[in-house]
Amino acid sequence: PFTVTPGQLYESDTSDSEEDFELDAEGDNGVEEIDSQEIYDLIAPISDPEHPLSLGELAVVNLPHIYITPGNPISTVLVEITPTITHCSLATVIGLGVRVRLEQALPPRYRVDVRIREGTHSTGDQVNKQLADKERVAAACENESLMSLLRKMLEGCK
Amino acid sequence: MPTLHRLTSLPPLPDRIWQATVHPTLPILALACADKAVHLFSLTTFAPLSTIDGGHKRSVRSVAFKPSTPSAPEIVLATGSFDATAGIWRHDNVNAENSWDGPVKAEGEDDEEEEEDWRFAVVLEGHENEIKGVAWNAGGDKIATCSRDKSVWVWEEMEEDNFETVAVLQEHSADVKAVCWHPEEDLLASASYDDTVRLYREDFDDWTCISILSGHTSTVWSIDFEKPHPSTLHDHSHSGPCTHTHESTTSRLVSASDDTTLRVWHRTSLPATKASRGLTPSIIRGQVLEEEWETQSVLPQVHTRAVYGVSWSGRSGRIASCGGDGKVVVYEEREVEGDVQESTDKPAEAAAEGAEETKEDEKKKVPAKKTEWVVIAELEGAHGVHEINSVTWSRRWDKDGKEGDEILLSAGDDGVVNVYTIE
Repeated sequence: PFTVTPGQLYESDTSDSEEDFELDAEGDNGVEEIDSQEIYDLIAPISDPEHPLSLGELAVVNLPHIYITPGNPISTVLVEITPTITHCSLATVIGLGVRVRLEQALPPRYRVDVRIREGTHSTGDQVNKQLADKERVAAACENESLMSLLRKMLEGCK
Repeated sequence: MPTLHRLTSLPPLPDRIWQATVHPTLPILALACADKAVHLFSLTTFAPLSTIDGGHKRSVRSVAFKPSTPSAPEIVLATGSFDATAGIWRHDNVNAENSWDGPVKAEGEDDEEEEEDWRFAVVLEGHENEIKGVAWNAGGDKIATCSRDKSVWVWEEMEEDNFETVAVLQEHSADVKAVCWHPEEDLLASASYDDTVRLYREDFDDWTCISILSGHTSTVWSIDFEKPHPSTLHDHSHSGPCTHTHESTTSRLVSASDDTTLRVWHRTSLPATKASRGLTPSIIRGQVLEEEWETQSVLPQVHTRAVYGVSWSGRSGRIASCGGDGKVVVYEEREVEGDVQESTDKPAEAAAEGAEETKEDEKKKVPAKKTEWVVIAELEGAHGVHEINSVTWSRRWDKDGKEGDEILLSAGDDGVVNVYTIE
Protein backbone atom coordinates (compact mmCIF):
# COMPACT_ATOMS: atom_id res chain seq x y z
CA PRO A 1 0.00 0.00 0.00
CA PHE A 2 1.02 3.55 -0.69
CA THR A 3 2.25 5.26 2.41
CA VAL A 4 3.11 8.86 2.77
CA THR A 5 5.94 10.47 4.60
CA PRO A 6 6.03 14.05 5.72
CA GLY A 7 9.00 14.77 3.52
CA GLN A 8 7.14 13.95 0.35
CA LEU A 9 4.19 16.07 1.27
CA TYR A 10 5.66 19.27 2.50
CA GLU A 11 7.16 20.34 -0.80
CA SER A 12 6.25 23.91 -0.19
CA ASP A 13 5.31 23.80 3.41
CA THR A 14 7.74 24.86 6.04
CA SER A 15 8.64 22.98 9.15
CA ASP A 16 7.19 25.73 11.33
CA SER A 17 3.72 24.39 10.79
CA GLU A 18 2.08 25.03 14.11
CA GLU A 19 -0.45 22.30 14.14
CA ASP A 20 0.49 18.78 14.96
CA PHE A 21 -1.45 16.70 12.55
CA GLU A 22 -1.34 13.03 13.08
CA LEU A 23 -0.11 11.21 10.09
CA ASP A 24 -1.40 7.83 9.22
CA ALA A 25 1.25 6.15 11.33
CA GLU A 26 0.00 2.62 10.88
CA GLY A 27 -0.36 3.14 7.19
CA ASP A 28 -3.61 1.21 7.33
CA ASN A 29 -5.41 3.49 4.94
CA GLY A 30 -2.47 4.64 2.87
CA VAL A 31 -4.26 7.85 1.97
CA GLU A 32 -2.67 9.37 -1.08
CA GLU A 33 -2.17 13.08 -0.63
CA ILE A 34 -2.64 15.49 -3.43
CA ASP A 35 0.49 17.56 -3.93
CA SER A 36 0.80 21.28 -4.47
CA GLN A 37 1.59 20.86 -8.17
CA GLU A 38 -1.76 19.14 -8.62
CA ILE A 39 -3.48 21.96 -6.75
CA TYR A 40 -1.67 24.47 -8.93
CA ASP A 41 -2.77 22.66 -12.06
CA LEU A 42 -6.38 22.85 -10.90
CA ILE A 43 -6.40 26.60 -10.34
CA ALA A 44 -3.80 28.04 -12.73
CA PRO A 45 -6.15 27.85 -15.77
CA ILE A 46 -8.86 29.95 -14.05
CA SER A 47 -9.16 33.10 -16.12
CA ASP A 48 -8.94 36.54 -14.62
CA PRO A 49 -12.32 38.27 -14.61
CA GLU A 50 -10.97 41.30 -16.44
CA HIS A 51 -7.93 40.15 -18.39
CA PRO A 52 -7.81 37.61 -21.20
CA LEU A 53 -5.17 35.77 -19.18
CA SER A 54 -5.17 32.99 -16.63
CA LEU A 55 -4.39 33.32 -12.92
CA GLY A 56 -1.25 31.25 -13.55
CA GLU A 57 -0.07 33.53 -16.36
CA LEU A 58 -0.70 36.63 -14.25
CA ALA A 59 1.14 35.03 -11.28
CA VAL A 60 -1.93 35.54 -9.14
CA VAL A 61 -1.51 31.92 -8.11
CA ASN A 62 2.00 30.59 -7.62
CA LEU A 63 3.24 27.11 -6.86
CA PRO A 64 5.34 28.10 -3.80
CA HIS A 65 2.28 29.75 -2.25
CA ILE A 66 0.30 26.54 -2.03
CA TYR A 67 0.54 24.80 1.33
CA ILE A 68 -0.82 21.37 2.12
CA THR A 69 -1.20 20.22 5.69
CA PRO A 70 -1.90 16.50 5.54
CA GLY A 71 -4.09 14.95 8.16
CA ASN A 72 -6.11 11.86 8.73
CA PRO A 73 -8.83 12.07 7.75
CA ILE A 74 -8.94 15.83 7.16
CA SER A 75 -6.22 17.61 5.20
CA THR A 76 -5.97 21.33 4.64
CA VAL A 77 -5.02 23.15 1.46
CA LEU A 78 -4.04 26.78 1.80
CA VAL A 79 -3.68 28.89 -1.31
CA GLU A 80 -2.27 32.38 -1.04
CA ILE A 81 -3.19 34.56 -3.97
CA THR A 82 -1.34 37.64 -5.13
CA PRO A 83 -3.63 40.24 -6.69
CA THR A 84 -2.16 42.06 -9.70
CA ILE A 85 -2.66 45.43 -8.02
CA THR A 86 -2.99 46.20 -4.30
CA HIS A 87 -6.46 47.72 -4.63
CA CYS A 88 -7.84 45.14 -7.02
CA SER A 89 -11.59 45.28 -6.54
CA LEU A 90 -12.00 41.80 -7.93
CA ALA A 91 -9.74 40.09 -5.41
CA THR A 92 -12.75 38.59 -3.63
CA VAL A 93 -14.17 37.21 -6.86
CA ILE A 94 -10.80 35.73 -7.82
CA GLY A 95 -10.46 34.14 -4.38
CA LEU A 96 -13.99 32.81 -4.62
CA GLY A 97 -13.18 31.28 -8.00
CA VAL A 98 -10.15 29.50 -6.51
CA ARG A 99 -12.11 28.25 -3.50
CA VAL A 100 -15.08 27.05 -5.57
CA ARG A 101 -12.80 25.36 -8.11
CA LEU A 102 -10.94 23.45 -5.38
CA GLU A 103 -14.07 22.53 -3.45
CA GLN A 104 -15.58 21.09 -6.60
CA ALA A 105 -12.44 19.24 -7.64
CA LEU A 106 -11.15 17.89 -4.31
CA PRO A 107 -12.67 15.12 -2.19
CA PRO A 108 -14.66 16.39 0.80
CA ARG A 109 -11.89 15.46 3.23
CA TYR A 110 -9.97 18.55 2.09
CA ARG A 111 -10.59 21.87 3.79
CA VAL A 112 -9.78 24.71 1.43
CA ASP A 113 -8.47 28.01 2.74
CA VAL A 114 -7.86 30.83 0.29
CA ARG A 115 -6.13 33.95 1.48
CA ILE A 116 -4.60 37.06 0.01
CA ARG A 117 -0.83 36.90 0.37
CA GLU A 118 0.21 39.23 3.12
CA GLY A 119 0.97 42.76 2.07
CA THR A 120 -0.34 42.38 -1.46
CA HIS A 121 -3.75 43.95 -1.04
CA SER A 122 -5.01 47.06 0.74
CA THR A 123 -8.00 45.31 2.28
CA GLY A 124 -6.54 41.82 2.50
CA ASP A 125 -7.94 41.02 5.94
CA GLN A 126 -11.49 41.83 4.87
CA VAL A 127 -11.18 39.75 1.75
CA ASN A 128 -9.71 36.86 3.77
CA LYS A 129 -12.55 36.88 6.26
CA GLN A 130 -15.14 36.81 3.53
CA LEU A 131 -13.40 33.98 1.68
CA ALA A 132 -13.21 31.96 4.91
CA ASP A 133 -16.95 32.28 5.56
CA LYS A 134 -18.61 29.10 4.28
CA GLU A 135 -22.04 30.66 4.47
CA ARG A 136 -21.06 33.67 2.38
CA VAL A 137 -19.42 31.34 -0.14
CA ALA A 138 -22.54 29.13 -0.24
CA ALA A 139 -24.81 32.13 -0.68
CA ALA A 140 -22.58 33.49 -3.44
CA CYS A 141 -22.92 30.16 -5.23
CA GLU A 142 -26.70 30.67 -5.26
CA ASN A 143 -26.34 34.15 -6.70
CA GLU A 144 -26.97 33.77 -10.42
CA SER A 145 -25.10 36.86 -11.63
CA LEU A 146 -22.02 36.01 -9.57
CA MET A 147 -22.20 32.39 -10.69
CA SER A 148 -22.33 33.28 -14.37
CA LEU A 149 -19.16 35.33 -13.85
CA LEU A 150 -17.55 32.42 -11.99
CA ARG A 151 -18.57 29.96 -14.69
CA LYS A 152 -16.84 32.14 -17.25
CA MET A 153 -13.70 32.28 -15.13
CA LEU A 154 -13.72 28.51 -14.70
CA GLU A 155 -14.35 27.76 -18.40
CA GLY A 156 -10.65 27.13 -18.94
CA CYS A 157 -10.60 24.39 -16.31
CA LYS A 158 -11.40 21.03 -17.73
CA MET B 1 -15.89 9.47 31.28
CA PRO B 2 -19.17 9.41 29.35
CA THR B 3 -19.12 8.84 25.62
CA LEU B 4 -21.29 10.03 22.78
CA HIS B 5 -23.08 6.94 21.59
CA ARG B 6 -24.66 7.19 18.15
CA LEU B 7 -28.21 5.93 18.56
CA THR B 8 -29.17 6.30 14.90
CA SER B 9 -28.77 8.42 11.79
CA LEU B 10 -31.60 9.82 9.72
CA PRO B 11 -31.73 9.00 5.99
CA PRO B 12 -29.47 11.54 4.24
CA LEU B 13 -31.01 14.61 2.64
CA PRO B 14 -29.94 15.63 -0.87
CA ASP B 15 -27.92 18.62 0.28
CA ARG B 16 -26.20 20.34 3.21
CA ILE B 17 -28.27 20.78 6.35
CA TRP B 18 -27.80 24.24 7.84
CA GLN B 19 -29.84 23.89 10.97
CA ALA B 20 -31.66 21.27 13.03
CA THR B 21 -34.43 22.48 15.33
CA VAL B 22 -36.75 20.53 17.60
CA HIS B 23 -40.27 21.52 18.57
CA PRO B 24 -40.31 22.71 22.20
CA THR B 25 -43.08 20.31 23.25
CA LEU B 26 -43.75 17.85 20.40
CA PRO B 27 -41.59 15.06 18.96
CA ILE B 28 -40.89 16.85 15.69
CA LEU B 29 -37.51 17.69 14.16
CA ALA B 30 -37.23 20.34 11.45
CA LEU B 31 -34.20 20.59 9.19
CA ALA B 32 -33.27 23.68 7.19
CA CYS B 33 -31.69 22.37 4.01
CA ALA B 34 -29.73 23.83 1.10
CA ASP B 35 -32.20 22.05 -1.23
CA LYS B 36 -34.57 25.00 -0.55
CA ALA B 37 -36.86 22.85 1.59
CA VAL B 38 -37.55 22.11 5.23
CA HIS B 39 -37.59 18.41 6.08
CA LEU B 40 -39.59 17.17 9.05
CA PHE B 41 -38.84 13.97 10.96
CA SER B 42 -40.50 12.18 13.84
CA LEU B 43 -38.48 11.96 17.04
CA THR B 44 -40.45 8.96 18.24
CA THR B 45 -39.64 6.79 15.21
CA PHE B 46 -36.96 8.89 13.41
CA ALA B 47 -39.05 8.45 10.24
CA PRO B 48 -39.57 11.25 7.72
CA LEU B 49 -42.86 13.10 8.23
CA SER B 50 -43.00 15.58 5.38
CA THR B 51 -41.06 17.98 3.20
CA ILE B 52 -42.05 21.60 2.94
CA ASP B 53 -40.81 22.84 -0.39
CA GLY B 54 -41.85 25.27 -3.07
CA GLY B 55 -41.79 28.24 -0.72
CA HIS B 56 -38.23 29.45 -1.12
CA LYS B 57 -36.12 30.15 -4.17
CA ARG B 58 -32.78 29.54 -2.40
CA SER B 59 -31.37 27.59 0.56
CA VAL B 60 -33.43 27.47 3.71
CA ARG B 61 -30.85 28.65 6.23
CA SER B 62 -32.85 28.64 9.44
CA VAL B 63 -36.03 27.18 10.86
CA ALA B 64 -37.92 27.81 14.11
CA PHE B 65 -41.05 26.42 15.76
CA LYS B 66 -43.59 28.64 17.42
CA PRO B 67 -43.97 27.49 21.02
CA SER B 68 -47.42 25.93 21.36
CA THR B 69 -49.40 27.26 24.28
CA PRO B 70 -52.64 25.89 25.73
CA SER B 71 -54.46 28.93 24.38
CA ALA B 72 -52.85 28.54 20.96
CA PRO B 73 -52.21 24.86 20.34
CA GLU B 74 -51.47 25.25 16.64
CA ILE B 75 -48.24 24.01 15.11
CA VAL B 76 -46.46 26.78 13.26
CA LEU B 77 -43.04 26.96 11.65
CA ALA B 78 -40.95 29.93 10.51
CA THR B 79 -38.29 29.61 7.81
CA GLY B 80 -35.53 32.02 6.84
CA SER B 81 -33.92 31.73 3.43
CA PHE B 82 -31.04 33.01 1.34
CA ASP B 83 -33.82 34.38 -0.92
CA ALA B 84 -34.18 37.22 1.65
CA THR B 85 -37.65 36.17 2.77
CA ALA B 86 -39.02 34.44 5.83
CA GLY B 87 -42.02 32.14 5.60
CA ILE B 88 -44.67 31.19 8.13
CA TRP B 89 -46.17 27.71 7.74
CA ARG B 90 -49.13 26.26 9.59
CA HIS B 91 -49.88 22.64 10.23
CA ASP B 92 -53.60 22.12 9.92
CA ASN B 93 -53.82 18.75 11.56
CA VAL B 94 -53.47 19.87 15.17
CA ASN B 95 -55.64 17.24 16.76
CA ALA B 96 -53.65 14.29 15.56
CA GLU B 97 -51.49 13.89 18.67
CA ASN B 98 -50.29 10.56 17.43
CA SER B 99 -49.55 11.65 13.91
CA TRP B 100 -45.92 12.41 14.78
CA ASP B 101 -44.83 8.80 14.64
CA GLY B 102 -44.45 8.97 10.89
CA PRO B 103 -46.49 7.86 7.93
CA VAL B 104 -48.70 4.89 8.68
CA LYS B 105 -49.72 4.32 5.11
CA ALA B 106 -48.48 1.64 2.79
CA GLU B 107 -45.27 2.10 0.90
CA GLY B 108 -45.66 3.48 -2.58
CA GLU B 109 -48.50 5.76 -1.68
CA ASP B 110 -47.59 9.28 -2.60
CA ASP B 111 -46.88 11.96 -0.06
CA GLU B 112 -49.05 14.60 -1.66
CA GLU B 113 -51.85 14.36 0.84
CA GLU B 114 -49.53 14.58 3.78
CA GLU B 115 -47.56 17.53 2.54
CA GLU B 116 -50.73 19.51 2.19
CA ASP B 117 -50.96 19.37 5.97
CA TRP B 118 -48.49 22.23 5.93
CA ARG B 119 -50.06 25.39 4.63
CA PHE B 120 -48.00 28.36 3.60
CA ALA B 121 -49.50 31.25 5.59
CA VAL B 122 -47.39 34.40 5.30
CA VAL B 123 -44.21 35.67 3.70
CA LEU B 124 -42.22 38.22 5.68
CA GLU B 125 -40.49 40.57 3.27
CA GLY B 126 -38.18 43.44 4.01
CA HIS B 127 -34.61 42.18 4.30
CA GLU B 128 -32.37 43.21 1.44
CA ASN B 129 -30.14 40.11 1.42
CA GLU B 130 -29.96 36.52 2.62
CA ILE B 131 -31.73 35.79 5.88
CA LYS B 132 -29.35 33.90 8.16
CA GLY B 133 -31.44 33.33 11.25
CA VAL B 134 -35.00 33.20 12.44
CA ALA B 135 -36.24 32.72 16.02
CA TRP B 136 -39.55 32.75 17.87
CA ASN B 137 -39.80 34.26 21.35
CA ALA B 138 -40.99 32.21 24.33
CA GLY B 139 -44.40 33.88 24.34
CA GLY B 140 -44.93 32.95 20.70
CA ASP B 141 -46.04 36.45 19.68
CA LYS B 142 -42.77 37.71 18.19
CA ILE B 143 -40.30 36.58 15.56
CA ALA B 144 -36.80 37.89 15.04
CA THR B 145 -34.97 37.61 11.73
CA CYS B 146 -31.43 38.61 10.81
CA SER B 147 -29.64 39.06 7.53
CA ARG B 148 -26.46 39.82 5.66
CA ASP B 149 -27.97 43.31 5.27
CA LYS B 150 -26.62 43.87 8.86
CA SER B 151 -30.06 44.28 10.36
CA VAL B 152 -32.19 42.41 12.88
CA TRP B 153 -35.95 42.70 12.47
CA VAL B 154 -38.57 42.04 15.11
CA TRP B 155 -42.02 41.05 13.86
CA GLU B 156 -45.08 40.91 16.06
CA GLU B 157 -48.15 38.86 15.26
CA MET B 158 -50.97 41.30 15.80
CA GLU B 159 -53.69 38.84 14.86
CA GLU B 160 -53.47 35.48 13.18
CA ASP B 161 -51.23 35.70 10.11
CA ASN B 162 -50.88 39.44 10.38
CA PHE B 163 -47.28 40.26 11.20
CA GLU B 164 -46.13 43.79 11.75
CA THR B 165 -42.54 45.00 11.76
CA VAL B 166 -42.00 46.47 15.20
CA ALA B 167 -38.26 47.05 14.97
CA VAL B 168 -35.45 47.25 12.45
CA LEU B 169 -32.26 47.11 14.49
CA GLN B 170 -29.16 48.23 12.62
CA GLU B 171 -26.59 47.91 15.36
CA HIS B 172 -24.21 45.46 13.79
CA SER B 173 -21.57 46.63 11.34
CA ALA B 174 -21.74 43.42 9.28
CA ASP B 175 -23.67 40.27 8.35
CA VAL B 176 -25.84 39.03 11.24
CA LYS B 177 -25.49 35.27 11.59
CA ALA B 178 -27.98 34.25 14.25
CA VAL B 179 -30.74 35.47 16.53
CA CYS B 180 -31.90 33.89 19.78
CA TRP B 181 -34.52 34.82 22.38
CA HIS B 182 -34.16 34.46 26.13
CA PRO B 183 -36.22 31.48 27.35
CA GLU B 184 -38.31 33.63 29.70
CA GLU B 185 -37.77 37.32 29.07
CA ASP B 186 -38.37 39.32 25.89
CA LEU B 187 -34.62 39.72 25.60
CA LEU B 188 -33.20 39.20 22.12
CA ALA B 189 -29.61 38.34 21.21
CA SER B 190 -27.92 38.54 17.81
CA ALA B 191 -24.52 37.25 16.68
CA SER B 192 -22.51 38.72 13.85
CA TYR B 193 -19.65 38.66 11.41
CA ASP B 194 -18.55 41.83 13.24
CA ASP B 195 -17.34 39.50 16.07
CA THR B 196 -19.90 40.74 18.62
CA VAL B 197 -23.13 39.60 20.21
CA ARG B 198 -25.73 42.30 20.85
CA LEU B 199 -28.70 42.26 23.18
CA TYR B 200 -31.97 44.16 22.74
CA ARG B 201 -35.06 44.96 24.76
CA GLU B 202 -38.23 46.88 24.16
CA ASP B 203 -38.47 50.24 25.87
CA PHE B 204 -42.08 51.30 25.49
CA ASP B 205 -42.46 51.18 21.73
CA ASP B 206 -38.78 51.26 20.88
CA TRP B 207 -36.42 48.34 20.70
CA THR B 208 -32.91 49.30 21.71
CA CYS B 209 -29.54 47.66 22.00
CA ILE B 210 -28.87 47.26 25.72
CA SER B 211 -25.54 45.48 25.69
CA ILE B 212 -22.63 44.62 23.43
CA LEU B 213 -20.70 41.44 24.13
CA SER B 214 -17.16 41.81 22.81
CA GLY B 215 -14.45 39.22 23.24
CA HIS B 216 -14.50 36.92 20.26
CA THR B 217 -11.85 37.65 17.67
CA SER B 218 -13.82 36.49 14.66
CA THR B 219 -17.37 35.85 13.43
CA VAL B 220 -19.84 34.66 16.04
CA TRP B 221 -21.81 31.87 14.37
CA SER B 222 -24.22 30.65 16.97
CA ILE B 223 -25.65 31.63 20.36
CA ASP B 224 -27.92 30.02 22.92
CA PHE B 225 -29.30 31.10 26.26
CA GLU B 226 -29.15 28.99 29.39
CA LYS B 227 -32.56 27.47 30.11
CA PRO B 228 -34.30 27.39 33.47
CA HIS B 229 -33.20 24.19 35.16
CA PRO B 230 -35.88 21.67 35.97
CA SER B 231 -36.19 21.50 39.76
CA THR B 232 -35.66 17.75 39.65
CA LEU B 233 -31.98 18.41 39.11
CA HIS B 234 -31.68 19.31 42.78
CA ASP B 235 -32.13 15.68 43.64
CA HIS B 236 -29.14 14.57 41.65
CA SER B 237 -25.96 13.39 43.28
CA HIS B 238 -23.00 15.72 43.77
CA SER B 239 -21.27 14.42 40.71
CA GLY B 240 -24.12 15.58 38.52
CA PRO B 241 -24.42 18.96 36.88
CA CYS B 242 -24.49 21.78 39.41
CA THR B 243 -27.57 23.85 39.90
CA HIS B 244 -27.69 27.61 39.98
CA THR B 245 -29.14 30.01 42.42
CA HIS B 246 -30.33 32.75 40.12
CA GLU B 247 -33.53 34.28 41.39
CA SER B 248 -36.28 33.78 38.89
CA THR B 249 -34.54 33.73 35.57
CA THR B 250 -31.37 32.52 34.02
CA SER B 251 -28.91 35.12 32.91
CA ARG B 252 -26.29 33.40 30.86
CA LEU B 253 -25.60 32.95 27.18
CA VAL B 254 -23.10 30.83 25.26
CA SER B 255 -21.56 31.90 21.96
CA ALA B 256 -19.66 29.91 19.34
CA SER B 257 -17.17 31.54 17.01
CA ASP B 258 -14.99 31.25 13.96
CA ASP B 259 -12.12 31.98 16.37
CA THR B 260 -12.57 28.28 17.41
CA THR B 261 -13.68 29.13 20.96
CA LEU B 262 -16.92 29.17 22.92
CA ARG B 263 -17.65 31.74 25.59
CA VAL B 264 -20.16 31.75 28.41
CA TRP B 265 -21.38 35.26 29.24
CA HIS B 266 -23.29 36.28 32.33
CA ARG B 267 -25.31 39.30 33.28
CA THR B 268 -23.48 41.19 36.00
CA SER B 269 -25.98 43.99 36.40
CA LEU B 270 -29.69 44.20 35.94
CA PRO B 271 -31.07 47.54 34.81
CA ALA B 272 -32.23 48.48 38.32
CA THR B 273 -28.95 47.50 39.96
CA LYS B 274 -27.02 49.61 37.58
CA ALA B 275 -29.19 52.67 38.05
CA SER B 276 -28.93 52.41 41.83
CA ARG B 277 -25.16 52.12 41.66
CA GLY B 278 -25.19 55.42 39.82
CA LEU B 279 -23.06 54.32 36.91
CA THR B 280 -22.68 56.71 34.03
CA PRO B 281 -25.99 56.67 32.26
CA SER B 282 -26.30 56.97 28.55
CA ILE B 283 -29.01 59.56 28.25
CA ILE B 284 -29.63 59.02 24.59
CA ARG B 285 -30.10 55.30 24.93
CA GLY B 286 -32.22 55.38 28.08
CA GLN B 287 -29.99 54.32 30.94
CA VAL B 288 -32.64 52.20 32.59
CA LEU B 289 -32.36 49.49 30.03
CA GLU B 290 -28.66 48.95 29.70
CA GLU B 291 -27.21 45.76 31.08
CA GLU B 292 -23.69 44.63 31.70
CA TRP B 293 -22.73 41.24 30.36
CA GLU B 294 -19.25 39.84 30.82
CA THR B 295 -17.39 36.74 29.82
CA GLN B 296 -17.73 34.27 32.67
CA SER B 297 -15.64 31.57 31.10
CA VAL B 298 -14.05 30.42 27.90
CA LEU B 299 -14.89 26.76 27.46
CA PRO B 300 -11.97 24.34 27.22
CA GLN B 301 -10.55 24.64 23.73
CA VAL B 302 -11.16 21.51 21.71
CA HIS B 303 -12.17 22.73 18.26
CA THR B 304 -9.48 23.38 15.69
CA ARG B 305 -11.65 25.11 13.10
CA ALA B 306 -14.69 27.40 13.18
CA VAL B 307 -17.38 26.46 15.71
CA TYR B 308 -20.69 26.65 13.85
CA GLY B 309 -23.24 25.37 16.31
CA VAL B 310 -23.92 25.49 20.02
CA SER B 311 -26.83 24.31 22.14
CA TRP B 312 -27.46 24.66 25.90
CA SER B 313 -29.55 21.85 27.30
CA GLY B 314 -32.51 22.70 29.49
CA ARG B 315 -32.49 19.19 30.92
CA SER B 316 -28.91 18.54 31.93
CA GLY B 317 -27.45 22.04 31.75
CA ARG B 318 -24.80 20.68 29.41
CA ILE B 319 -23.50 22.58 26.40
CA ALA B 320 -22.80 20.92 23.05
CA SER B 321 -20.84 22.36 20.12
CA CYS B 322 -19.91 21.35 16.59
CA GLY B 323 -17.83 22.80 13.80
CA GLY B 324 -15.74 22.75 10.68
CA ASP B 325 -13.32 20.27 12.24
CA GLY B 326 -16.06 17.62 12.23
CA LYS B 327 -16.15 17.33 16.02
CA VAL B 328 -19.11 17.18 18.37
CA VAL B 329 -18.12 18.21 21.91
CA VAL B 330 -20.13 18.12 25.15
CA TYR B 331 -19.23 20.31 28.15
CA GLU B 332 -20.48 20.15 31.70
CA GLU B 333 -20.25 22.68 34.48
CA ARG B 334 -18.79 21.44 37.72
CA GLU B 335 -18.51 23.07 41.07
CA VAL B 336 -14.95 23.68 42.13
CA GLU B 337 -13.95 22.91 45.67
CA GLY B 338 -12.25 25.57 47.78
CA ASP B 339 -10.54 28.59 46.36
CA VAL B 340 -9.58 27.19 43.03
CA GLN B 341 -10.08 29.85 40.42
CA GLU B 342 -8.81 28.26 37.32
CA SER B 343 -8.33 24.91 35.83
CA THR B 344 -5.16 24.04 34.06
CA ASP B 345 -6.89 23.35 30.78
CA LYS B 346 -8.37 26.84 30.60
CA PRO B 347 -6.58 29.41 28.47
CA ALA B 348 -4.74 32.04 30.46
CA GLU B 349 -7.15 34.69 29.28
CA ALA B 350 -10.10 32.83 30.68
CA ALA B 351 -8.39 32.41 34.01
CA ALA B 352 -7.69 36.13 34.16
CA GLU B 353 -11.26 36.96 33.40
CA GLY B 354 -12.45 34.46 35.93
CA ALA B 355 -10.37 36.18 38.57
CA GLU B 356 -11.79 39.58 37.74
CA GLU B 357 -15.25 38.25 37.91
CA THR B 358 -14.62 36.90 41.38
CA LYS B 359 -13.66 40.35 42.64
CA GLU B 360 -16.81 41.78 41.10
CA ASP B 361 -18.92 39.19 42.81
CA GLU B 362 -17.41 39.85 46.20
CA LYS B 363 -18.19 43.51 45.85
CA LYS B 364 -21.79 42.69 45.18
CA LYS B 365 -21.84 40.32 48.13
CA VAL B 366 -23.34 37.64 45.96
CA PRO B 367 -21.56 34.46 46.95
CA ALA B 368 -21.26 32.94 43.50
CA LYS B 369 -20.38 29.30 43.45
CA LYS B 370 -17.09 28.67 41.77
CA THR B 371 -17.53 26.52 38.76
CA GLU B 372 -15.54 25.29 35.83
CA TRP B 373 -16.56 23.79 32.54
CA VAL B 374 -15.08 20.45 31.59
CA VAL B 375 -15.29 18.43 28.41
CA ILE B 376 -17.19 15.26 29.23
CA ALA B 377 -17.47 13.78 25.75
CA GLU B 378 -15.94 14.39 22.37
CA LEU B 379 -16.53 12.71 19.04
CA GLU B 380 -14.13 13.29 16.19
CA GLY B 381 -15.27 12.80 12.61
CA ALA B 382 -18.88 12.62 13.77
CA HIS B 383 -19.99 13.10 10.16
CA GLY B 384 -17.00 11.43 8.57
CA VAL B 385 -14.91 14.04 6.81
CA HIS B 386 -17.77 16.54 6.63
CA GLU B 387 -18.30 19.78 8.50
CA ILE B 388 -21.06 19.96 11.10
CA ASN B 389 -23.29 23.01 11.07
CA SER B 390 -25.77 22.52 13.87
CA VAL B 391 -26.28 20.70 17.17
CA THR B 392 -29.41 20.64 19.27
CA TRP B 393 -30.56 18.92 22.45
CA SER B 394 -33.94 17.26 22.68
CA ARG B 395 -36.03 15.30 25.07
CA ARG B 396 -35.76 11.61 24.16
CA TRP B 397 -39.08 10.48 22.67
CA ASP B 398 -38.41 7.03 21.16
CA LYS B 399 -39.73 3.90 22.84
CA ASP B 400 -36.36 2.83 24.24
CA GLY B 401 -35.92 6.06 26.18
CA LYS B 402 -36.84 6.68 29.79
CA GLU B 403 -38.59 9.65 31.30
CA GLY B 404 -36.14 12.54 31.57
CA ASP B 405 -33.65 11.14 29.05
CA GLU B 406 -32.21 13.47 26.49
CA ILE B 407 -30.64 13.10 23.08
CA LEU B 408 -28.26 15.26 21.10
CA LEU B 409 -28.66 15.78 17.36
CA SER B 410 -26.01 16.98 14.90
CA ALA B 411 -26.54 18.04 11.28
CA GLY B 412 -23.85 18.33 8.65
CA ASP B 413 -22.74 19.20 5.16
CA ASP B 414 -23.34 15.55 4.28
CA GLY B 415 -27.11 16.01 4.65
CA VAL B 416 -27.09 13.58 7.58
CA VAL B 417 -28.51 14.00 11.07
CA ASN B 418 -26.93 11.88 13.80
CA VAL B 419 -28.75 11.16 17.02
CA TYR B 420 -26.67 10.53 20.15
CA THR B 421 -27.15 9.53 23.71
CA ILE B 422 -24.48 10.23 26.30
CA GLU B 423 -23.61 7.10 28.23
